[in-house]
Amino acid sequence: MSAPAVTRDHAISLGFFLFLGLAWEFGVRWSGVQSYLLPPPSAILAELWQSRGPILAQSLVTLTEVFWGFIIAVALGVPIAALIFFSRTAKRTVYPLFVALQSIPKIGLAPLIVVWFGYGLTSKLIMAFLFAFFPIIISTLGGLASTPAHLEEHFRALRASPMQSFWRLRVPAALPSFLDGCKVAMPLAVIGAVVGEFVGSNDGLGNLILTASGSGHTTLTFAALIAVTMMSLILFYSVAYWERFIWWRAA
Amino acid sequence: MSGVISIADVGKAFGDLRVLGNVSADIGAAEFVSVLGPSGCGKSTLLRLIAGLAPFEEGSIRFNDAEVTAPSPEMGFVFQTSNLLPWFTVRDNLLLGVDLDAAVQRPSDAAFAELVETLGLTGFEGSHPHQLSGGMRHRVAIGQALARNPQVLLMDEPFGALDALTRDRLNMELLRIWQRDRKTVVLVTHSISEAVLLSDRVLVMSERPGTIIEDVRIDLPRPRDPSVTREDPAFGDYVVRLSKLMGVS
Repeated sequence: MSAPAVTRDHAISLGFFLFLGLAWEFGVRWSGVQSYLLPPPSAILAELWQSRGPILAQSLVTLTEVFWGFIIAVALGVPIAALIFFSRTAKRTVYPLFVALQSIPKIGLAPLIVVWFGYGLTSKLIMAFLFAFFPIIISTLGGLASTPAHLEEHFRALRASPMQSFWRLRVPAALPSFLDGCKVAMPLAVIGAVVGEFVGSNDGLGNLILTASGSGHTTLTFAALIAVTMMSLILFYSVAYWERFIWWRAA
Repeated sequence: MSGVISIADVGKAFGDLRVLGNVSADIGAAEFVSVLGPSGCGKSTLLRLIAGLAPFEEGSIRFNDAEVTAPSPEMGFVFQTSNLLPWFTVRDNLLLGVDLDAAVQRPSDAAFAELVETLGLTGFEGSHPHQLSGGMRHRVAIGQALARNPQVLLMDEPFGALDALTRDRLNMELLRIWQRDRKTVVLVTHSISEAVLLSDRVLVMSERPGTIIEDVRIDLPRPRDPSVTREDPAFGDYVVRLSKLMGVS
C-alpha cells in the first residue's frame, strides 16, 4: 500500500471514532439522560484527568496481579503441555484433569479463592492465572503437534538426537501457535484479576469500579473502565509485538 | 562383485498393502542410478528403505557391506519437498545436516564457500527460505545433503514440483556436481527424459507391488549437457525404450 493510502486509512478510522464520540456527547446532552446513568465523554475524560493519581495507582495494583498471573500461567502451562504431549500417561491423567478444571466456572471459584488466599495480591494473581492457564496449555499442545511429519523424517535422516529435534524443530514450530495462545490469555488474565477484585479486595481497578459505581460516581466508573481497557490493549499489543520475530508463521 | 548398495529380495508392506516385492539391485561406487516407475509403485519407499528411514519385512539391504538398520552419516537425502527450516537462514539450513550429526565433519570455510558458489547461492547466505525462489530452495536442499559430504546421495523426486526451465537448470547443476565429485547417486523420478539425461543406469519398476522389471544401461557420452544430449539420436531411442517398458508409449 502506498503512503497516501495508509494516511487516508488512518484518517478514515480517526474520523469514524471521532464521529462516534461526538454522537455520544451530543446524544447525551440533547436527550437529557442523567449523567449518573450515562455521562458524556467530555465528563469522563475530565474525570480521567482529575483522578489520574488514584487511577494510576490502582492500575499498578491490577497490572502487578495480571503480570504475575500471566507469567505463572506460561511458566507452568508450557512444561505441563510438553508433559501431556510427550507422555501418554499424562495425556490420560493430567490432560482430562485440566479439561475438567477448565469446565468449572472460574467466576464461581473466585469467592473460594478469596477465602483461601485473602484480600491481597495472591488471590487476584491466582484468578488471573486460572483464566490465562488453559489457553496457554491448549495452544502449546497444538503447536507441538503441528510439527510437519516430513520435517520429523528429515531430522531422522540427518540423525538428529531427540533433544535436537525438540529444540530445533518442535519448539520453533510450536511458537506461532503458542503466541496465539498468549494473545488470547493476556486479556483473559486482566478479566481474571478484575473478577478477583470484584469478589474481595481493598484496591485495584476492579475495586475502584465497584466502589465508584456503588457511590453513584458514574464518571469515575467509566474512567476506571477505560483504564482497564487501555491496560488490556497495551498488554495485548505487547504480546502481539513478538510476532515479528516469528515471521515463519505464514510459511 | 557386490556394489556400494546391495538390495536383495526386499519386500515391504503397509498393513495389508504390499508396496514392494522381490526388489534386487546392486549399485556400484560413483554410479548415477535412477529409479523410474509409475506413481504409487513404491519407488520412494524403496529409497527410504535404503536410507534406513523405515523398517521392512523381507530381504536385506547392505551399504558398504553392513546391514542398513538406521540412517547413516555417509548418506545424504534430498526430499521431494525442499524441507528447509523457515526459522533458519540459508547458511544454517545448509549446515543443518552437519550440525545435527556428530559423525559428520564440518566442511572447512573454503569448502563451504565453494559449495555456496557451486549452488549459485552466493550473497544469499543470510536470507531465509521464504525470501528465495522455488528453484533456490531446492538448491539449498541439495546443498544441505552435499555439505555432509556423503558417499551416497539419495534423491526423491527433488525437482518434481518445479517448472521445466528451472528443472533443466538444476539437472545441469546436478550433472556438473556429480561429474566433479563422483558420488554414488540414487535418484527417484517419474520423468523418463530426466532419468536418461542423468543416469548411468535406469531401474524400471512395475506397478504396485513394485519390483524392478528392467535394468537399462544408458551409454550416452559424458559429460552430458541437457541441450546437447537431448539432440543425440540415442537419447531418443532410450526414451522410447523406457516409455515402452512403462507402458506409456
